Amino acid sequence: MSSPATNQISVKLVLLGEAAVGKSSLVLRFVSNDFEENKEPTIGAAFLTQRCTIGDKYIKFEIWDTAGQERFANLTPLYYRNAQAALVVYDITKPASFIKARHWVKELHEQASKNIIIALVGNKYDLTLDSETGEEIEGSRKVSLEEGQNLAEEENLLFFESSAKTGYNVNEMFTTIGEKIPEAIAKKDNTRDQSGGNRIDLNAPAENDIHDSSCSC
Amino acid sequence: MAERRPSGINSRRPSVIPYLAGIEKPVLPSIPSQCDVLICGTGLVESILAAALAWQGSRVLHVDANPYYGDTCATLTIEQIKAWCASVNDGSSGFQGFSKAMLHIPYPHRLNSRDYGIDLSPRVLFAKSDLLSLLINSRVYRYLEFQSLSNFHTFENDTFGKMLSTKEEIFTDQSMTLASKRQLMKMMKFVLEYDLPENKEELETHMHEPFTDYVSNRFHLSSQQINELCYALGLAPKPDISTIQGLSRVRRYLVSFNIYGNFPTLYSKYGGPGEISQGFCRSAAVAGATYKLDCALKSFDPDTKTATFEDGSKVKISEKVVCSPSQAPEGSRNVPERNYEITRLITIVEKSCKEWFAEGESAALVVFPPKSLPSNNQFPVQSIIMGSGTGCCPKDQCVWYLSTIEQGERGRRDLESALKKMEESILRESEDGGFDVELTESDVAVQANGGISVINSVKLGKSFKGFVPKEKLTYLLKLMFTQYTSVAPFGVVSNAVFEKAEENDHPGNGPDLKVIYSSMPSTEISYDGVVTEARLLYSKIVGSDDDFFDVDFEDDEDYEHGPSSESAIVDDAEEFQPEMAFEL
Ligand SMILES: Nc1nc2c(ncn2[C@@H]2O[C@H](COP(=O)(O)OP(=O)(O)OP(=O)(O)O)[C@@H](O)[C@H]2O)c(=O)[nH]1
Ligand SMILES: [Mg+2]
Repeated sequence: MSSPATNQISVKLVLLGEAAVGKSSLVLRFVSNDFEENKEPTIGAAFLTQRCTIGDKYIKFEIWDTAGQERFANLTPLYYRNAQAALVVYDITKPASFIKARHWVKELHEQASKNIIIALVGNKYDLTLDSETGEEIEGSRKVSLEEGQNLAEEENLLFFESSAKTGYNVNEMFTTIGEKIPEAIAKKDNTRDQSGGNRIDLNAPAENDIHDSSCSC
Repeated sequence: MAERRPSGINSRRPSVIPYLAGIEKPVLPSIPSQCDVLICGTGLVESILAAALAWQGSRVLHVDANPYYGDTCATLTIEQIKAWCASVNDGSSGFQGFSKAMLHIPYPHRLNSRDYGIDLSPRVLFAKSDLLSLLINSRVYRYLEFQSLSNFHTFENDTFGKMLSTKEEIFTDQSMTLASKRQLMKMMKFVLEYDLPENKEELETHMHEPFTDYVSNRFHLSSQQINELCYALGLAPKPDISTIQGLSRVRRYLVSFNIYGNFPTLYSKYGGPGEISQGFCRSAAVAGATYKLDCALKSFDPDTKTATFEDGSKVKISEKVVCSPSQAPEGSRNVPERNYEITRLITIVEKSCKEWFAEGESAALVVFPPKSLPSNNQFPVQSIIMGSGTGCCPKDQCVWYLSTIEQGERGRRDLESALKKMEESILRESEDGGFDVELTESDVAVQANGGISVINSVKLGKSFKGFVPKEKLTYLLKLMFTQYTSVAPFGVVSNAVFEKAEENDHPGNGPDLKVIYSSMPSTEISYDGVVTEARLLYSKIVGSDDDFFDVDFEDDEDYEHGPSSESAIVDDAEEFQPEMAFEL
């Protein structure tokens, strides 16, 4: 049996967007196909991982959700560092969240690595539809489809409207990102030496046979 | 369920959708009106404290007057370095934590600001140390990347030597007599066992005598070996250390060997304390702490327990205010004295400096013992060498961090002198493959473990004296400055430092009454002392440090769902390993 580990790709994906637009809900939908109606604002989750197979690729998403830091747009450079993908989320019923999304896109272009794949996500699509008829509820949508598409086009972003509640387009956005990944890895940003061949995993100590036995502290 | 279809295609476009043009700044939210602990300054100690408090359940507001994380131990880009120098020299703020910043950038167009991460106070991490255990327990290590650092070079008699510190190296070395090898091994053994009951008497008798005397009398080591023990392995920042200090320092090195591999120290990629601070800030944020940069404390009123910031906003504090001296409000009266100086010289050179690194590594230490330099230095000069593999600079460049606790003009002279020696050495070693000394077979030492041939590196530096380099070394940046701290060299941060502000509480005494101050970064080149200080501050706030980072992270672990989760994936093994318990 061939081991899937051989072509497993690790992808660091960061989430950005105004409070309550549904970032954590999108992750929850993707990671455990679940939705909570009254989700508490996020504190607590460091990052989640989710593995999926896309074609013949085996992708391990390492998903970084924002914590208290994004409130003042004071994310640490560490947050963006080596992120291969980002979801910039807004709420299509909240124009202010779209303005903030523009801000995050700009920030990503400045701070993140050049080849980062950014997806612009207009979430809460379900709120614009009448659940009985499937018709759009007049006046519910506050950010037009074109508005999002235009921004995505100008800034060279992937674009989705989604609903964490119904699951609409959630897997699609992750899959599309997953499909795009290898190209990005191949043409990796080389200004700083990314090689660092001797990365040490702090959680995997070596066999300790020389000095420890005699250490009595 | 409603049929899914692309939105907007058939539906009418409601006219209420406003057109959102331009990139405006969204309205920022305001800071919380209440918190338990306010921490000003995102240096390493404060960041560890913030995370510890946040995980213990305190509501933490963590601010920094700077637009970046890390405060006095930040990792900065070139543009940030420039701004930092300007602010140090203008002296308008009352704070005197740094002085005499001199910056020289000869070819500004060659430096792309963001390609660099320059540490204001670089450090190396011993593999067996309290910070390392904390990084694991807190899981902050997951946000960071660590790399190994093996080479500790000592400069002696105009040459660079590399300390022989493993059994294999000692046994295979050609330059030592058998007798001296035995003595060295005996010494190393004693270092690991000095606190056993059978050594108690011996230790007590000699504890306070100079380490150098003790080692030379008891083990008959050469003065060069003693220097290497003291200043390279032990990284002692000053001469005349006591036997107990020397022994514990050498032990720190030896017990760190073979924890993660055949090297004693590590460093975090992309920056040292500045990067690790960010890791702890992220951890604190995940635990619910609120972060705000560009936010300077203006005053704290202990009666109403209200802190006011420069932008006019206020927060009520139910517990304490902790503040880095660098972020003390203007007019502060209670900032602890900072009586110790560190002189630092940071350069970026246009050379990879790979000659100094061990196989596959990107960093090294070079130590100049007292009196080894033409400047007749009284104190050692320590330098950390960070190549491009550390993520701190572009390819074929290298960052050199030199420092000494010698003060003022003398300190600056010693650093310049050491810089010159490093320049000569790297030019010589990198020129034409590096050797114009005839190599003999005995210069190639075969390591017992790996079977790799290494050139005896003492030889590399030989015939140094008459060497005239053909090329010149290009400096892309040179930064010298003095840093002050209240932590004595070798001193552990003491509670007394934090008590000062509280003693001093006559009414009307400054805008920083009852503020607890942290110390500035210590003179220590390792991370030792950082966790101790964070714990002390934590106890001052919480009452004890029993539950310092006593967190069960079980629920925070990877979600494993979906069809693929049962597959055997090689790198998963590491994630499910029980946490490694370190004895301290
Ligand atoms: N109707 C609907 N509600 C959603 C959707 N996504 C999220 N919500 C709700 O919106 C609220 C906020 O969702 P979160 O996922 O916590 O938002 P967030 O962006 O992570 O918020 P912060 O962590 O505070 O920044 C919750 O009450 C969710 O139930 C969606 O697609 N449709
Ligand atoms: Mg959230």
